Amino acid sequence: MSAERAYVGIGSNLGNRIVNVERALGALERLGRVVRRSSLYFTRPWGRYDQPWFYNAVALLETELPPRALLDALKALEQELGRGAGERWGPRTIDLDLLLYGDVETDEPGLRLPHPRLSERAFVLVPLAEIDDRFARLRDALDAEELAGVVRAERETAMAMPNESLLDATERVRSIARFLRENELTRVRVQRGDDEIVVAAGTRPASPAPVQPAAAPQTSRVDAIKADLVGVFRLSRPEPAEGDAIDADRELGYIEALGIRTPIHATGAGRIVSIEAGDGSAVEYGQPLFLVARGS
Amino acid sequence: MIANRGEIALRINRACQELGVRTVAIFSEADRDSLHVRQADEAFCVGPGPAGRSYLNIPNIISTALVTQCDAIHPGYGFLAENARFAEICTDHGLTFIGPKPSVIALMGDKASAKRVVREAGVPTTPGSDVLSSVEEASAAANAIGFPLLLKATAGGGGRGMRVVNEAGELARAYAGATAEAEASFKDGRVYLERLIRRPRHVEVQVLGDEFANVVHLGERDCSVQKPAHQKLIEETPAPHLAAGARATLHEMALRASRYVGYTNAGTLEFLVDGEDVYFMEMNTRIQVEHPVTEMVYNIDLVKEQIRIASGEPLGYVQSDLVSRGHAIECRINAEDPRNNFAPAAGTVSKLVFPGGPGIRVDTHLYAGATIPPFYDSMIAKIVAFGQTREVAIARMERALRETMVEGVSTTIDLCLETLAAPEFRAGRYDIEFLPGRLARNGQTTAQRAVR
Repeated sequence: MSAERAYVGIGSNLGNRIVNVERALGALERLGRVVRRSSLYFTRPWGRYDQPWFYNAVALLETELPPRALLDALKALEQELGRGAGERWGPRTIDLDLLLYGDVETDEPGLRLPHPRLSERAFVLVPLAEIDDRFARLRDALDAEELAGVVRAERETAMAMPNESLLDATERVRSIARFLRENELTRVRVQRGDDEIVVAAGTRPASPAPVQPAAAPQTSRVDAIKADLVGVFRLSRPEPAEGDAIDADRELGYIEALGIRTPIHATGAGRIVSIEAGDGSAVEYGQPLFLVARGS
Repeated sequence: MIANRGEIALRINRACQELGVRTVAIFSEADRDSLHVRQADEAFCVGPGPAGRSYLNIPNIISTALVTQCDAIHPGYGFLAENARFAEICTDHGLTFIGPKPSVIALMGDKASAKRVVREAGVPTTPGSDVLSSVEEASAAANAIGFPLLLKATAGGGGRGMRVVNEAGELARAYAGATAEAEASFKDGRVYLERLIRRPRHVEVQVLGDEFANVVHLGERDCSVQKPAHQKLIEETPAPHLAAGARATLHEMALRASRYVGYTNAGTLEFLVDGEDVYFMEMNTRIQVEHPVTEMVYNIDLVKEQIRIASGEPLGYVQSDLVSRGHAIECRINAEDPRNNFAPAAGTVSKLVFPGGPGIRVDTHLYAGATIPPFYDSMIAKIVAFGQTREVAIARMERALRETMVEGVSTTIDLCLETLAAPEFRAGRYDIEFLPGRLARNGQTTAQRAVR
């Protein structure tokens, strides 16, 4: 059976949300091939204001699983990742929704395709439109308030909370702002315990990112380049991007640990299918950093 | 951050949760489905299965603590728990190592230096000689120490280069044999003499010290029920049938040695007990596997105390506040094959029932469906029974072991039951030769019953 293209929505609002979404993206590789993924979006919870904001993303998966089997596999992944992320058995740390499956339209118990919330939810449509042009018009039809609840998180990065002795809030914000400038960032979010400070540069309203086309690479094999140590992952400059053709010895990024930068090389020519770990995020041993298509 | 795995990682996580401290677990690729990964607030993979590349991987462990913004590291037992260098590296990176100061770990972690320093403090150690350079010197030392004696290789281990010397006439021959064997085994022929204590008991004393020079003891634990190769199987507190003065001496010596080295946090001093005589053997500068028996009778959470002490709090009680309120016994349940010299048994646990009811505590990381990886210690559970008296505790333990069901791997459950039933154990009159002797006599029966 030939592979079908399915869109999967990913969301998390519990625990380390970025890592949860990144883990889910990595785990989707087990169900097929992630040929494209959206940026991460920071989104207001739907219909409720007393919950933490979500991180959302959408992935395009090429899979040989039929729709029902894919749905079951996604539910199993939800279970597995929800527990694996270190939370208790109860609340789920990750939501996986099957949004679209090829051209299939169906309304069976537990399985409606396309996903019923697809056309009305900004947190689905904005990332979806980022990776598939066909949804740009639906996205543009959303009202401004809806769109304001979905913030592209790509330029966010992590930094250590300024020294605890800086108890003065002004002082904290100032030092974060300095970090922002020095690193040419547009937004910085600092989280420690229940405290969260967001500092944004300029006054640009959050607008959906321009759609990047880039055809899916036609390939025979996708390798994951994984972290072989624990530390903070960063992209090297010039920043590699999804879809880039890379040389065998290209330095794609590095992991900073205990003050030492360990470069991550392409280990063979290919094309970057996706960047699996966020620039500036903490990565664990064995965590996928890049998916690279070989032999094309 | 909890720099360990298995039941002790869960134990530490429990203490942290009750104190409202957020936790980060570390795990190897072989432990991805382990319970400690699920119960911590965050979890980071630090390497592949073999411990040398994961649970002993200091750079990855420190880096995890830093990227997750941990304040402190609890090392548990085993792995990096008594690694002075690791404790020092933690401090260098602004992380609190939950344990004694690195210098104290280094001092007490080396058996020779620990013995030297406690002797300075006036604590008796096994009488012995310096390194011997000739058989004449050995003879003089032997007469000074008294027979029977043990000739030991300084580089020794595994019984090589070791000889028992019962009387003066045997010395010359034993000396020649031991030096030759030590030379052949370790390329180091140096030997020394030590008084041979026949059939001693292994009794240890729990101490706690804070940063303000307060040190208390929390009684003793008898750990004499050991399998061959000195692996503990059953521990209990208080130690039964100690000679009248021995208990007080043990407590007094433990406090004296701990104060002398400025000990902080939780520690255990191991002694050999021979009638009224007490000899310091070594100190463990960490939480022990068998700490729950002490917790049961003193109603104190030792892991919480460790965390409190490390955060700079004073003990908050004095020796006279600490009163033992009963008797507690621990049985170690290991995934081991009793037919095959206790070789560790890896595998998947198909069915699992643990005991409950009054006076029973179970510390385990096992669950039905769990896979026991081949890389680590074979202990899968600790069952602890408390009673107002020793008899009540034993009865509860027997009942609890019979309630326990572990299918899929062979375990030491039946061995524990048989040992508890032995007349020597019942009478509380046993020493470190008790279990090895029993196994040698009943080896066949034990093996057959243990696999039924």
